[in-house]
Amino acid sequence: MSAAPITAASEALQVEGLTTSIRIAGHWFDAVRDVSFTVRQRETLALVGESGCGKSLTALSIMGLLPGAVGRVSKGRIVVDGVDMTAATEAKREAMRGDRIGMIFQEPMTSLNPVLPIGFQIAEGLMQHRGMSKDAARKRAVQLMELVRIPSAADRLDAYPHQFSGGMRQRVMIAMALACSPRVLIADEPTTALDVTIQAQVLALLADLQKQEGLAVLLITHNLGVVASVADRVMVMYGGDVVESAPMRAFFQAPTHPYSEALLAAMPRVDRASKLAPIPGQVPTLPDMPAGCRYQSRCPLRIAKCAERPPLTPLGGDPEHGVRCWVRAGA
Amino acid sequence: MSENKTLLQVRDLSKTFLSRKGWPVPKTVAVRAVDGVSFEVGQGEALGVVGESGCGKSTVARLALRLIEADGGSVRFGDTEVLGASKADLRRLRRRMQIVFQDPASALDPRQRVGEALGEALRVHGLANRRDVRTVVERLLDEVGLPKVAADRFPHEFSGGQRQRIGIARALALGPDLVFADEPVSALDVSVQAQILVLLERLKAERNLAFVFISHDLGVVRHFCRKVVVLYLGRVVEQGPVPDIFDTPLHPYTQLLKVSSPNPDPDTAVHMAFQEGEPPSPVNPPKGCHFHPRCPHAMDVCRSVYPSLRKAGDGRVVACHLYPE
Repeated sequence: MSAAPITAASEALQVEGLTTSIRIAGHWFDAVRDVSFTVRQRETLALVGESGCGKSLTALSIMGLLPGAVGRVSKGRIVVDGVDMTAATEAKREAMRGDRIGMIFQEPMTSLNPVLPIGFQIAEGLMQHRGMSKDAARKRAVQLMELVRIPSAADRLDAYPHQFSGGMRQRVMIAMALACSPRVLIADEPTTALDVTIQAQVLALLADLQKQEGLAVLLITHNLGVVASVADRVMVMYGGDVVESAPMRAFFQAPTHPYSEALLAAMPRVDRASKLAPIPGQVPTLPDMPAGCRYQSRCPLRIAKCAERPPLTPLGGDPEHGVRCWVRAGA
Repeated sequence: MSENKTLLQVRDLSKTFLSRKGWPVPKTVAVRAVDGVSFEVGQGEALGVVGESGCGKSTVARLALRLIEADGGSVRFGDTEVLGASKADLRRLRRRMQIVFQDPASALDPRQRVGEALGEALRVHGLANRRDVRTVVERLLDEVGLPKVAADRFPHEFSGGQRQRIGIARALALGPDLVFADEPVSALDVSVQAQILVLLERLKAERNLAFVFISHDLGVVRHFCRKVVVLYLGRVVEQGPVPDIFDTPLHPYTQLLKVSSPNPDPDTAVHMAFQEGEPPSPVNPPKGCHFHPRCPHAMDVCRSVYPSLRKAGDGRVVACHLYPE
């Protein structure tokens, strides 16, 4: 497959001031607050955090897949490959999804249709978005299956999802997502359900394809080990806020937000004996979120000023490394 | 009680599952899920069992508890042979051997209040009468860090971490000596996982509990266990003390597991040199060493002869032709 054409803007995905609200018992709460970032071509931005931190909602907002009755983008702008998704009509968004922007999910079995052969599922996007004939799309599907290194691709074109292992199903998902050579790939916990050895294979495959295709990847994960393996930049989210944003190496050298530190201290390591320091308590539910800094109820550094929401402040000397904390930003 | 006294001794444990597959003419296929597995657990000791999905880790726990029946081998708990035990003996044994599952949501009855779920076991085993049950249940809840009022609630009212605490409380209710923990923290977020691990550590120390800790996460096993057994397609490929196995894994499969395990450090990140291949199906394992199709060091002998377990240092064994018998 040839490299994607380089267009003027290297920012494949831009998100500015995204606020996503969800409805709980008739009231709207901000589940994602004022999130801004860009992902350039050939770059991987990792969005890290625990369940309920807003990372998947951010992805669904970008894709325009929020369930309308209970979720909506209430503020902000999302630009994919030069197209403003927030201002676009649903028809335009539909045309973008699967064409300019692809997405893969955690559990491929629930995302694949169990009663359709996988060759058809890969070819479907090509027929839909590219107007390819059935035969041409099938031929392309075989190439795509070879691209994601599914052995004996041509023979397995008519196989059904249940005939594949978990790792192979995730490869099928990747082939579907890449069928129309998108510029942006959103990968939501793509390897969480896989064994570590298969996870390493899928991560390596994604990294290879990213180089070949010049993809911008937004990787959503809770696993800081995965982040250290593949990300260029890291954004840590807590309670819908970006609490820290940094280049990957800078983040692991000097994790600065108390939540980032706590996440690292809570992770048992395979390379050395570790003393675990659990984070006390749990993430408050949206209706119970404290005003101001949302981490304050669990934070050991809490001061009176935390009742006010801290801004994402660049740390001394590094405009790329921002932290949303009054104490650590030295204000 | 000395720490080193052997509590559980598993010898040559084997289980073959038969399944009928195919259409229109189904064929019976045999799956050797557990094939000659042996290990020991001392009092108050934590043994880790690691391996990929389908390697037989969970089956080992279910066989030892006789939730399913083994085909061969022996399981001695204290002085009793578990596999041949009568119903009455088994009932006594189950008080001393308990299990905690990965997903407590599916292990708890959604229509049963937490207090009843915990009290049921106490009553069945005659450990508390109707009046005392409440007190014992409240003490158990307190021990796992839940408030007393939790007894009156239903499982769905709790978060994943809290439900796992309930699962642990239920395992502790009968005062066991040994707990099989089957992926007890795999479904939890990192911070909750750390909370549960710290709780399990405390209980282990306070109650001198022994654990068979089943996990696919090497980091968690390194943190919690003193000894580890590595399984591949139903067989033990390496076994030994925890720091040694993780610092210098000998079996190429253990080495692959280690380099594939994500580490929050860019300098020792996942080794992504492209390693193709998936675990073969246990229905039809490769001849010779089961790992040879994925092994970078495979020799001719590996394709024909299954390597026996051989000693490889202090308390360590490895099943690999690379090391002398």
